Amino acid sequence: MTATTLFQSALASLPEIVVITGACILLILGQFVRKGQEHFLVWASVAIVLIAALATLMLASEVRPAYAGMFIADRFAVFFKFVFYLATLLTFLLSRKYADIEGIGSSEYYVLLLFALSGMMIMASATDLLSIYVGLELMVICTYVLTGFLRRERRSNEAALKYVILGAVSTGIFLYGVSLVYGLTGTTQLDGMAAAVTGDPLDPGLLLAVVFIVAGLVFKVGAVPFHMWLPDVYEGAPTTITAFMSTGPKAAGFAVILRVFLNPLVAASNVWIIVAVIAVVTMALGSFVALVQDNFKRLLAYSSIAHAGFAIFGVAAGGADGVASVMLYLLIYAFMNLGIFGAVIMMRNGDFSGEVIEDYAGFAKSHPGLALLMLLYLFSLAGIPPTAGFFAKFYVLVALVEHGFVMLAVIAVLLSAVAAYFYIRIVMVIYMREPKRAFAPALTPLVRAALAVTAAGTIGIGLFPSWFLKLAQDSVFGG
Amino acid sequence: MGFPLLSFIIFTPVAGAAVLMFLRGDDAARWTALSFTVLDLALCIAMLVGFDTTTHAMQFTETRPWVPALGINYALGIDGISALFVFLTALLGSICVLASWVAIDRKVKEFMICLLSMQALMLGVFCALDLFLFYVFWEAMLIPMYLIIGVWGGEGRVYAAIKFFLYTLAGSLLFLIGVIVLYFYGGRTFDILALTEQDLPFRIQSWLFFAFLIAFAVKVPMVPVHTWLPDAHVQAPTAGSIILAGVLLKMGAYGFLRFSLPMLPEASMYYSTLMLALSGLAIVYGGLLALAQDDLKKLVAYSSISHMGFVTLGIFALNLRGLEGGILQMFNHGVTTGALFLFVGLIYERTHTRSIADYGGLMKVAPVYTTFLALFTLSSMALPGTNSFVGELLVLSGGFAANLVAGSAAVLGALLGAAYLLGMYGKVALGPASVGARLTIRDVNAREMAAILPLAVFVLWVGLYPKPFLNIIDASVKHLLTHVHSRGSGQ
Repeated sequence: MTATTLFQSALASLPEIVVITGACILLILGQFVRKGQEHFLVWASVAIVLIAALATLMLASEVRPAYAGMFIADRFAVFFKFVFYLATLLTFLLSRKYADIEGIGSSEYYVLLLFALSGMMIMASATDLLSIYVGLELMVICTYVLTGFLRRERRSNEAALKYVILGAVSTGIFLYGVSLVYGLTGTTQLDGMAAAVTGDPLDPGLLLAVVFIVAGLVFKVGAVPFHMWLPDVYEGAPTTITAFMSTGPKAAGFAVILRVFLNPLVAASNVWIIVAVIAVVTMALGSFVALVQDNFKRLLAYSSIAHAGFAIFGVAAGGADGVASVMLYLLIYAFMNLGIFGAVIMMRNGDFSGEVIEDYAGFAKSHPGLALLMLLYLFSLAGIPPTAGFFAKFYVLVALVEHGFVMLAVIAVLLSAVAAYFYIRIVMVIYMREPKRAFAPALTPLVRAALAVTAAGTIGIGLFPSWFLKLAQDSVFGG
Repeated sequence: MGFPLLSFIIFTPVAGAAVLMFLRGDDAARWTALSFTVLDLALCIAMLVGFDTTTHAMQFTETRPWVPALGINYALGIDGISALFVFLTALLGSICVLASWVAIDRKVKEFMICLLSMQALMLGVFCALDLFLFYVFWEAMLIPMYLIIGVWGGEGRVYAAIKFFLYTLAGSLLFLIGVIVLYFYGGRTFDILALTEQDLPFRIQSWLFFAFLIAFAVKVPMVPVHTWLPDAHVQAPTAGSIILAGVLLKMGAYGFLRFSLPMLPEASMYYSTLMLALSGLAIVYGGLLALAQDDLKKLVAYSSISHMGFVTLGIFALNLRGLEGGILQMFNHGVTTGALFLFVGLIYERTHTRSIADYGGLMKVAPVYTTFLALFTLSSMALPGTNSFVGELLVLSGGFAANLVAGSAAVLGALLGAAYLLGMYGKVALGPASVGARLTIRDVNAREMAAILPLAVFVLWVGLYPKPFLNIIDASVKHLLTHVHSRGSGQ
């Protein structure tokens, strides 16, 4: 590798370098930050993400393959990176006050989030099964630790342990698939794999390898049959981390799934049948089980399974529109899901957990403005216009019908009618019950800012979807 | 493109809702809501004055690109059919505010915001010329209506609100799939007018017809998907019931007129007998159910099912008299049943009972109330001289021409209507006064009169001189009919 190509490679991965270097510096500086000075950590982390975003934007104009085909900086990656930046930034804003209340004093919290971010960024840009693996592990190891961050709480420890063990198994499955691919084709590069199999009918061994790889990835987005960890982990983790995991890492998982599925190797096979079945079962399970939840975080965990199912419908649809529909879905989902989690996080104050749905009874009476915001996020999650959630679902359905999967579209909408029930049930509790006790939400300017951004996204994309749609469509073929 | 009148009509209530957000005080909220609805009504009257009745073409059209990548436009326009309902919506809007003046005593501001957003969305549905835009308006109505029933409703409001929401949502979502399928088969456009010019294969038309039927049948509502309606009506506050009966139910029938008939003419003709049978069933079944009710509101709610059966009967008779009668009957039902719900609400505010058995002899204590109640009861029965007579007569004559059995069922339904309505009026207004009624009932006051009078005027106006109303819809209906028959006879 000559100096020029090395420089080109480094340039292409500049945003990742910024985040990782920044995180390392912050890790050292964090040891010198005195108690009560944690504001510095938040702002420094925000600054690092903003610089990375700026670097990403500067590099967005052209496609830059790097590191001998392991890595690529294209518009597809740029789109996903911005979803990650959004999720991470909002998590920072929501974390400050919550960390105080929960007694999370250590600077590692922010540093680990930054490392997780860099892992996700690598995943979005990876074009080789090994670099995918590196990004994936970097991300999940950080989230393992973050899940167990409430050291005094048993629930948090249990969740972390469960996550680590199941996550390790899924990683093993993924790696086994990768080794099979390498053994059969002699390469781990996504392009190389495609070149190795063109023309011939698909080798059953390769199909098996693809199934293993898909299984490993499906675990990360929490789709059936690898969803069992998700409700427990979501419930046990600090709520800010749950919010983060449900948007950022989930989007990263989808980024990789799309990269693999854009690959002709998969497109040529009949894997889409498996994908369609996974989508239906995932959405059905998420929607029906969510109906009986009393815990808000568990309900949102199942809702997140259902939403993953809906996004997988877009993967099953395939084609440029299918891919773009998944991307747009994930962007919109990041806005509305961080919004609703922001509301749950804000309720955590004093001895008030805000985790039981009954806690919200009569919330509209004492805080009409905040209740209206929750109403907005909930109706958006249910997919009612004119919110962004409707447009996200609409575009997935368009992609499905375009490729002739009308029955799948019908199943998808019927299941979303089921899912609508538990969202409007929360609206009912907020608006139609009498309050049992006084509310004192932990509303800091930072939390307010986070809620304002998510609300603007949720209603803004709903009313003016054109620009975002075009962005997603342009990003599909960017590389 | 001239003055965007339709946008103004749609967004005036939105502006009202926005102003309300910054106001404090219940009375301020009431007066603001009233001013904006009256202003909106004035705009609608201006629209009717400028309306050209000689053409079936869309008027006051506006088009702006919204999501160009998918061919979605912000496109508005009205023909004779929509003009009538735009006006009805605005008229009932002001009356709803008046009807809620004292009936709503908590969270008045929030209620008025819901009412105004509801009005804007309903107007949007009738004005939309883009399927996507139509769907957004159509579906977004669920949010304010859910809140109106669920927050300000009666005892069982939560159950009723959720039932209303899920029934309508499930129906609408299948409609959405139909819309997307239509988009791909109709040349990748959401333009309603362009889609009516498409010739779709009969197989596709059939599928779409049933996808649309489910959505529209839930809204109308037709038997067997009618069960949400009595619950929603009984639990909703008076204004909610007026909106439901007056406008929301019309949207299903409007959907048949705007989408099923013009876009799927072959399927509409092929399945018209089925639709006539369902309409006849709704007329008789709804009438029988109404006959068995003791609760005033339930009685009016079930009578709505029967009356809307007349509407669908007229539409699927697929002849001129049937269609004109069906559309006029939609307008009439909005006026008359809206008024009946208003009357039930007025008496409920005074006595807090809706059971017919608790009343009697109201004539003596509230003569004005009972006189007007008589007018609307007779109108609902379709007595000559009232609005419904004209509509029902047209529907019957069209219905008999199309199908003898369905026509006979409609006559039976009309008889049942006379039975339950006269029975109700007799028990409530005549006879000896009940103890409770004598003590608490005041006659109508000036504000209530302001809500009643316009409706009474329309009952008599349409009843005695229906020509202006038929003129508005005439050109559009004739065009629709020619369109359906010329395209639908292909098989």
